[in-house]
Amino acid sequence: MSKKLEPGMAYDMKKLNKVFAFLSILFLAVTFWVFLDDFVRPWKAVQIQGLKVKQAKIDKDLAIEAKKIDDKKIAEFDAKIEEGEKLHASRSEVIEKLNEDLNKLDLLMKAETIKNGQLNSNVSATNFNWELAHSHHSKNEPDLFKLLKKYKKEFAESKDRMKGLTTQIKTAKKDLLATKSELTKALREKAEFIGARKLLLQARKTTEIDPIFVIRNAPMGDFLDPTLKVRQVVLNDITDDRYFQHVPKVDRCMTCHLNIDKKGYEDVAQPYATHSKLDLMVGAKSPHPMKQTGCTSCHGGEGHRVLDFNAPAHTPQNAEQKKEWVEKYHYHPPHKVPQVQFKVGYVEASCIKCHKGVERIPGGTVVNEGIRNLEKFGCYGCHKIEGWEHKRKPGPSLEKIASKVSKEFFKNWVWSPKAFNKHSNMPSFFSQANNSKPEHMKKNITEVNAIADFVFSKSEGYRPFSKFSPGNKARGKKLIEQVGCMGCHGVEGFEQDSKKINAFAGPYLTGTGSKIKSADWLVSWLKKPTHFQEDTIMPSMRLTDREANDIATYLLSLKNKKFEDLKFEPLDDKVRDDLLVEYFSAFDTLEVARAKLAKMDDVARTHELGKRSVGKYGCFSCHNIDGFEGRAPIGPELSGVGSKPLTQFGFGHEYDVEHSRGGWIKAHLQAPRRWDNGIDKPFKDLLRMPNFNMTEKQADSITVALLGMVTDYIPLRGVKSLDHHEKVYAEGMKVANKFNCVGCHKVKNGQWDETGGDLLKKEEYADDLNMGPPWLVDQGHRVQADWFHNFLKNVTPIRPWIQVRMPSFNLSNEEINALVMGFQAGAKQQTFVDNHAKIEWTPGEKNEAKRLFDALACASCHTTGFNKDEAQAPNLYLAKRRLRPSWIKKWIMNPQSILPHTSMSNFFEDGEPSEEDYFDGSVEKQVEALTKYVLEIGDIELPKAK
Amino acid sequence: MKELINYLADPIRSFPITCVLYFLMMKYYKVVGTKKFAWIAGTLFFITAGMFAMDPNFWLIITWPDNIPISILILSVGFLTWFTLYKCAENDKRIEAGECPIEALPENREKVWAWPNLVYTELFAIIAGTAFLIAWGILFDAPLEEPANPTWAPNPAKAPWYFLGLQEMLVYFDPWMAGVVLPGLILVGLIAIPYIDTNPKGNGYYTFTERKMAVSMFMFGWLVLWLYLIIVGTFLRGPNWTFYGPFEFWDFHKVVAEYNVNLSEFFWVFGLKQALPGNLIIRELPGIILTILYMGIPVALTFNSLNAIFQSIGESKNKFLNITMIAPAFKCLAGIPAFIEKTGYIRYYIYVYLAVIMAMLPVKMVLRWLFSLKYIIALPEWELNL
Repeated sequence: MSKKLEPGMAYDMKKLNKVFAFLSILFLAVTFWVFLDDFVRPWKAVQIQGLKVKQAKIDKDLAIEAKKIDDKKIAEFDAKIEEGEKLHASRSEVIEKLNEDLNKLDLLMKAETIKNGQLNSNVSATNFNWELAHSHHSKNEPDLFKLLKKYKKEFAESKDRMKGLTTQIKTAKKDLLATKSELTKALREKAEFIGARKLLLQARKTTEIDPIFVIRNAPMGDFLDPTLKVRQVVLNDITDDRYFQHVPKVDRCMTCHLNIDKKGYEDVAQPYATHSKLDLMVGAKSPHPMKQTGCTSCHGGEGHRVLDFNAPAHTPQNAEQKKEWVEKYHYHPPHKVPQVQFKVGYVEASCIKCHKGVERIPGGTVVNEGIRNLEKFGCYGCHKIEGWEHKRKPGPSLEKIASKVSKEFFKNWVWSPKAFNKHSNMPSFFSQANNSKPEHMKKNITEVNAIADFVFSKSEGYRPFSKFSPGNKARGKKLIEQVGCMGCHGVEGFEQDSKKINAFAGPYLTGTGSKIKSADWLVSWLKKPTHFQEDTIMPSMRLTDREANDIATYLLSLKNKKFEDLKFEPLDDKVRDDLLVEYFSAFDTLEVARAKLAKMDDVARTHELGKRSVGKYGCFSCHNIDGFEGRAPIGPELSGVGSKPLTQFGFGHEYDVEHSRGGWIKAHLQAPRRWDNGIDKPFKDLLRMPNFNMTEKQADSITVALLGMVTDYIPLRGVKSLDHHEKVYAEGMKVANKFNCVGCHKVKNGQWDETGGDLLKKEEYADDLNMGPPWLVDQGHRVQADWFHNFLKNVTPIRPWIQVRMPSFNLSNEEINALVMGFQAGAKQQTFVDNHAKIEWTPGEKNEAKRLFDALACASCHTTGFNKDEAQAPNLYLAKRRLRPSWIKKWIMNPQSILPHTSMSNFFEDGEPSEEDYFDGSVEKQVEALTKYVLEIGDIELPKAK
Repeated sequence: MKELINYLADPIRSFPITCVLYFLMMKYYKVVGTKKFAWIAGTLFFITAGMFAMDPNFWLIITWPDNIPISILILSVGFLTWFTLYKCAENDKRIEAGECPIEALPENREKVWAWPNLVYTELFAIIAGTAFLIAWGILFDAPLEEPANPTWAPNPAKAPWYFLGLQEMLVYFDPWMAGVVLPGLILVGLIAIPYIDTNPKGNGYYTFTERKMAVSMFMFGWLVLWLYLIIVGTFLRGPNWTFYGPFEFWDFHKVVAEYNVNLSEFFWVFGLKQALPGNLIIRELPGIILTILYMGIPVALTFNSLNAIFQSIGESKNKFLNITMIAPAFKCLAGIPAFIEKTGYIRYYIYVYLAVIMAMLPVKMVLRWLFSLKYIIALPEWELNL
């Protein structure tokens, strides 16, 4: 208080003013900061860079255009234009006169139009008055009627004059145009020639940074009509959960990914590149247009955020990319984002959330591979998956196992399936990372012994119906290859093809001689699988006794000596009793548990432990075992695993595993017991998920399929809802998948839906796919429903020159119907076609049809019934009963459009008939006649197939 | 060193430490209330804070947008507390010397105009505050979380920072106590202050000697029981509301061995070796009696016979009793009759009961740490736990 202040003042006013000035400037600065912070956005830089990318592309296109345009051609056009102008000028007199006439006509027309309009309103008004007068019987009714008649007459006359004038005006205008027709034509030609360039130049202008661009995007003014702006799509059919409220999804990814829906930027680096699958995704004409499907619906992440690179939760592909992003964009893993973006290669996971109720997803190559692997490894056996309830248990039934393999084999197999068959889909439970300690092994050995005793004790008896007599091994091997066993089985001796086909419906046939207990069993099984197991999917190949014995001889010759010599350690009574006491003491004291044990005899104890162990390891989840019907599978449900919070995944002490859902699942699939590392656990609590020895690729594909199993709510109108046809088709495909029809046949339905045909990957068919199982393209349109039904019930060969056999499947009537209806619905066909009417010929048509039939040499391939040559195409006498007439027409017209590799000739290439002399060269008539002919011979008694 | 700090930061240890520090601060407030002390303490604080900030885990905690207010709070409260003590120390020295407080000097008693002295400066505060908030808003994004999901609660689930003291109380008390009764009493107590505290000393000037009781009581509640708990709740409570040292990584899976036992269980099961009585009241009788006894303390303090004992202990020259502050405390208690004489019984009881209930928090904390005591009275059947 050294300085004296004015009375009534605590502070010096000058000082206060200075403080105020300082604060005002500070506040102003902060205000500017607000606008600057709002104005400077990372995406604006991206968009400006995007302009350059676009410019470069336009410049490239312009250069191409410029090459097309040469000066000589332009000069030519200019000369023509000049000539046209001259001609136009020379006709000036005529033009003048025409213009004069036109003026006059226009005047008359205008006057007449007015008059006509007045008359029209007079007619209407008088009409109203007269009708009123008429219905009320007014006195002036006759007068009004007279007046009305008069107006009507005048109106008609005026209308007539107008028509005349219109014609005159039209003629005059036409004449006027004709005077400069040469000029117009020349101008148009030139415009067409340089039009593309003109458009490009216009487009290029929009990419330039000129004063107008600067003004439109200037700070504070940029709310009016900026060119740099946030771009977005709003999806009404797909919603986002915003704090208990579902609001339409908003994706703004295209703010930076500017060209994602535009063709021509395929080779540009991100974010400016075109979508890699434009015809399936994003493209306006694709099934998933950007405006309807958006981006994050499939990719995950937060599509509405454009704050900076990190905001939308981008996910790097690998550690290298992560490092690169950290340097470039200060990347950090997203916080508090329930679903971060999928890595490249994982995006197809999202297909699953909308495409439900189908066996395979059209166009989803990666995810379909994942689904196939889920089937192959039988994950759904132990883990419930919504929508997979219809699938049969992945492993074979053990209800009659005692008649098939020996107990010793069973134990060694359970202990280590891969030791017997490295292709086995049965996973390994024992000698794994978490149970290899000696004390664990001892307990495991006891458990396996008990399981074997228990399962064998439950096994029913079975007597083979056939006797084995040794056959020819070489012939057996050949038969295996020929008849099509490899559609479902890999086979030792055909390693390369087996690997290519990668079949899994049946076991890989190796060491069969060491596995199968009785040769009679094998022959009976080969001949009639249903005799052993009623609900097997193994079909009968209609083998003769000799064929069956030959095949059995080959299979029995496949031995695994090393495995045969294995001796499984016997059961240790003490360990067994200890284990049982542990089970019994779960809810009782040790004393009670011991007393309970004491009451049991030796066999009962072993069986009790066997039963408990089957339950513990979940054997019953994959195999039918007597006494376990209806038990819930042992693994946790996978239906919502893609939405499970990351914090609920137990990473244990595995710090190298990528900290994401995908990272965990993949690591889990490759080494399921790893989470026990460094954790002290009692024997009974050790992780039990078995080891499938998956390759990284397999684990990756399954990870993709599992990540798609999310619990996201999607409005019904946003998901793919199957229409009636698609639903029936999907049901049919379930049966086709169950019996592994797709192991041999490629099934194709529509543009995107294509599955199966694994057997066609055999080396043998590499040159000629026609020698393999036929493709089922448009099958529902091709064959008639009743024929198809009968065929599945009682298979008869259609293509005798093909060695691979269509098996006789053990299909129920419902399953046959599902298949028939499925294919039929896939092709959107009615069940029945009227195919019984007698063929009506126009005079001479039949003869000409016959001659055309001969001219096209149809019988050179379709020989059956026509000549003695060996058939190379199906019997035409059967066509009427088998095929639908409309399909026959379509087929004759262009077979390659249906089956690209067919050997059937295309007689009407590019819509031109190869034989022009028939039916006046009319394609329709020729096709019609041939179809009629084929249908008619179907009525003739069927000649026996050769 | 970091381990040691982590170890000391656990409330079991840091609460007594804070209490001792608080006590030392109030006892030696004349030392604390000097500019020299402020410079030294401030420098040391910033050096330590800088060293703490080198630790990545600590850095994560203090830069979490939610926690920035707490850092601001620590700085501002630290400064304001020192400033108070500084002013008090200055005035108290003058008062001891028989002079009037600085605020009572004639030049400071002069009246000044509201404009510009008040209104203008208020405008400054508004501008500066707004500018500060805008800058803060630009620099730090709002700490929004993922869409709420009833099956997936955030962990740790933390209240807004100003409620974290209350949330910390939930560790020791039943929700209705920590969430309803105690906060309610805090409000009631704050409202009641002008009616209880009729001491005219200190009006318009800073002083400590003239109102030792009021200042230290309020500051204890504010600094130790409120702010300390907020700081613990913010910085030191991680997933599962488990304690994490300032340099400790918030490992989601950290497990702490805690098994709390009710007083009735202690009494019947371990003490008398018999099953818990079926009658709820009998079962909880030990706790009820203890509570009644505790609540009876204010009444007992008014007894003359006790007062004599307090007096004798309070005037004892025993060195130990004096150093441990037991003798001065009893001296204080001995002053109660005089206090009642000054204020009357109603004020006395309101005041003392507010203090007794406030003291329940540290008492319960200590009991929890020492004996893993869950509830003194455990009547979950009536949703009545203490």
